[in-house]
Amino acid sequence: MKEKYIHILGIAIVALGLGFVVFLYWSQPKTLAEVATKSQVVLGTYEINRDEFTRGLALFRSEDFIGARAAFDRADPEKRDANTQFYTAYSYYRQGWGRLSKDDTLFKPGLEAVDRVMILDPNFRSTDETLTMKTPSELKYELEEGLKLTPDDFNPMKLTRERK
Amino acid sequence: MRTASQEIIDVEIDEAESDLGPVRDVAIEKVQRPKTENQKPQLIYQLLPCLFILVTLLGGMRLGAADNAFIFLKPALICLVFASVLMILFFRSSLLKMDGWFSDRFSTLQNIANTAVLLTMFTASTQLFNSLLPEKGLPFWIVGFCFFWTLWNNLFADFDTKKLLRSLGALFGLAFAVKYLVLANLTATGDTSLLQRIFDNPAKEAFTWLLDLPRYSAGTGYIQFFAVAIYLIALFLTPSTTKK
Repeated sequence: MKEKYIHILGIAIVALGLGFVVFLYWSQPKTLAEVATKSQVVLGTYEINRDEFTRGLALFRSEDFIGARAAFDRADPEKRDANTQFYTAYSYYRQGWGRLSKDDTLFKPGLEAVDRVMILDPNFRSTDETLTMKTPSELKYELEEGLKLTPDDFNPMKLTRERK
Repeated sequence: MRTASQEIIDVEIDEAESDLGPVRDVAIEKVQRPKTENQKPQLIYQLLPCLFILVTLLGGMRLGAADNAFIFLKPALICLVFASVLMILFFRSSLLKMDGWFSDRFSTLQNIANTAVLLTMFTASTQLFNSLLPEKGLPFWIVGFCFFWTLWNNLFADFDTKKLLRSLGALFGLAFAVKYLVLANLTATGDTSLLQRIFDNPAKEAFTWLLDLPRYSAGTGYIQFFAVAIYLIALFLTPSTTKK
């Protein structure tokens, strides 16, 4: 091989190798599978697992929210898909909703998920006709209201409210 | 089947051909010279960066005690200082010759390629200190001080390449033994409850708490052993000059 090409190859090896090391130390993957998904994110080829998403949606509609969230996590391990994160947030809302009280331990991660949706896609609007709330701002309002304790919470008329 | 007489004839032919020795030797030399000349650049610009990058990758890598998950630890600032001192030592002991790696007689491309190789050597050295220094607590300061003391003394000592390599081998070997044999054996591991661990092995739990030792999987020691070994091999393979 001509020496000039050996030098160019050497520079390329160093640039790629050190780039890969910096990427690993920056992204902190925990397993080899995570290395692959994080690489996809960096390269812009990341896609959610459609089969897991469909499974999660079916579980969400059958009110198995814990199972649905597990499937959504498998479908979108990097939490970069607005639609999947919206369903995750919605599952926290529906599971934590109660006529008398709301479950703060479920509403808090729900709020985090809906914040992720707003960062990923500020103009997100769900196309699912079965959902009452279509936008993250509506969902966020409900989750925030659920976390607050106000005199309005003791209004007996609130017992007639329905889950959205 | 070849008979004995045929073999004798073959030997005679070989001897007759060997009379043409000088002509053939020149021919062979002409064929072989480019191959051997090409091996050195390939060693410097391909093999050495690969080895040093591998050490850079492995040096900060640990495995979690509970689930063997990867943990990538960024090097402390002191590791960069130690690596810089080590690079100065390499040049002082003629392991690397300045005019053999950077020269106006080289092409710009070669100077850039040489800089890239030395950059990987620096990052590997940094990560090696990251590997051998305990992560935190009292052991970090004690081992760090020992490293500093040794490097500082070496900086003013008369060294040749062999002596430096032997000294570094001993230094890194001892640091490896302290961290991954002595301190690792003092660290309580396992994902049982604190109370259970205290009952099982109170001394280990006390040392872990007193010395603020992090808990890693046993596999970490194996990874770091290979990181140290690869680094020393790469240093051994590094030529003092890139001149032909």
